[in-house]
Amino acid sequence: MPVLALETSTLVSSVALVIEESLVAEITLQTKLTHSERLMPHISTILEMADMTPKEISAVAVSIGPGSFTGLRIGLSTAKALAYALQIPVIGVPTLNALAYGCSLPGIYLSPMLDAQKGNVYQAVFEQTKAGLQQIKDTRVIACSTALEELAALNRPVAVLGEGAILYRREIAAFGENLILPPQHLVIPRAGSVGFLGQQMLAQGVRHDVMTMEPLYIRRSEAEVLWEKRQGTQS
Amino acid sequence: MSKEKVFILALETSCDETSASVVVDGREILSNVISSQVPVHRKFGGVVPEIASRKHIENVIPVVDKALSIAGVTLQEVTAVGVTYGPGLVGALLVGIAAAKALAFAVQKPLIGVNHLEGHIFANFLAYRELEPPFLALVVSGGHTSLVHVKEYNQFQLLGQTRDDAAGEAFDKVARVMGLPYPGGPQIDKLALLGNPTAIHFPRALSTPGSHEFSFSGLKSAVLNHLNHAAQHKEEANHADVAASFQAAVVEVLVAKTLEAAQECCVDKIVVSGGVAANSCLQSTLSQQAVNAGYSVYFPPPVLCTDNAAMIASRAYYKYLSGFTADLHLNAVPGLKLQ
Ligand SMILES: [Zn+2]
Repeated sequence: MPVLALETSTLVSSVALVIEESLVAEITLQTKLTHSERLMPHISTILEMADMTPKEISAVAVSIGPGSFTGLRIGLSTAKALAYALQIPVIGVPTLNALAYGCSLPGIYLSPMLDAQKGNVYQAVFEQTKAGLQQIKDTRVIACSTALEELAALNRPVAVLGEGAILYRREIAAFGENLILPPQHLVIPRAGSVGFLGQQMLAQGVRHDVMTMEPLYIRRSEAEVLWEKRQGTQS
Repeated sequence: MSKEKVFILALETSCDETSASVVVDGREILSNVISSQVPVHRKFGGVVPEIASRKHIENVIPVVDKALSIAGVTLQEVTAVGVTYGPGLVGALLVGIAAAKALAFAVQKPLIGVNHLEGHIFANFLAYRELEPPFLALVVSGGHTSLVHVKEYNQFQLLGQTRDDAAGEAFDKVARVMGLPYPGGPQIDKLALLGNPTAIHFPRALSTPGSHEFSFSGLKSAVLNHLNHAAQHKEEANHADVAASFQAAVVEVLVAKTLEAAQECCVDKIVVSGGVAANSCLQSTLSQQAVNAGYSVYFPPPVLCTDNAAMIASRAYYKYLSGFTADLHLNAVPGLKLQ
């Protein structure tokens, strides 16, 4: 059951092919080219490398957010169109869950963080148990400093993951004894993790609708927030 | 042996319409599904790019599915997939491009990138089966005001365009100041019918012969000043007269420059397209003057004036015939120029 996985929620562009327990291939890049230019060529390349045709893919897993709005839409539009054309299931994998899964050490907390602009991060807390990945704190937008205070107050080591861990590495290092910064290749979003989590979700019977599926934005658009504020002051 | 028919599936997501269409041999529309976002953007008084992108990602697969099912064509039966890659809003374009690339790749069919402006011109090939180049095209919409010499199906010469606002943009802004709902073009058109087009003389910019460029920002400011002046003096500006006089100024410039360009290009056909092509005053004035001067004039029906994927499919067909396909690296070009 080959699953094609896409991860475009940040500047990292990643495509993977997973079959059962095995990561058959993964292309992960951090270069200046846009997702729009890289994603489809990489999908084509990875299938070629694995000696497969598009028809042999059995499902598409895609990182659905939170993250860069445009990046998420490129990934999702591609995933939906592939799934629609090939008549196979599409699975939206929450980005922060995939990040935690990619570095899922037991006995510690895992806190993925993605940049949400102006000192804010998209953040959550997970724990790897025998039963699988457990979410301790829901995905939210929070000031990075507040998130770090919360994490520093926990009674266990916390591995900080995602681009937030790279962006705020100095603040994190200065914050608390229990905050761990794993090496970069373990903390960046990778499609392999999206593929394996997607596979698990499929096995659990999760199905997303190719017609109505949307990114997990967490945040509303700025125009809408402003509009509502204006309405509020007028009434 | 009869020639095999070419079925183009095209996507258009450059602004605030999510559209997909199936067109046969560049001329026959089998389906043209348009999911309009106008009601969503109305409360903001104009198109909000982030909201447009969000609506596109919701609508893109449903419009494709509907276009194929109305056409009675499966994705496997499609000859090639066309998509708008510019000009337009970058985030909006990217949704359509990503979907089109994935669809083309999944069924291993050629991908064709289409210039939105060229698409507008080709809307007329769908409405008029006998129409062929060469001709002069006036593309006039919320985003463009351009005069193009269409020499052949794949050969265009941009003669001139607007230096500032597009004509449709000026319509929308004037309407907004008069308190008319978005989009303002059709509202001004309606209101102008009740007013006197010679009541107020608004400026006609760049009206010296020989210039194919347009400018509408001065005209827009003059109208806004007129309205502000009246408000300051506690006078009631006659909105119908303002609408009629403003529209008359826009149409006069458009018609004069179009006729002059047509003469210079030595063509006998004039083809109008884009949202403002639906304006009744432009249609009647240009038709009358052009026919008097010996030209045939073509306006597409309203549904082909607005942004739609059928016009993109028609343009894609002629690129396909000439082998102009794109590869999977195709990217959005928000400021794409005419070739
Ligand atoms: Zn347009």
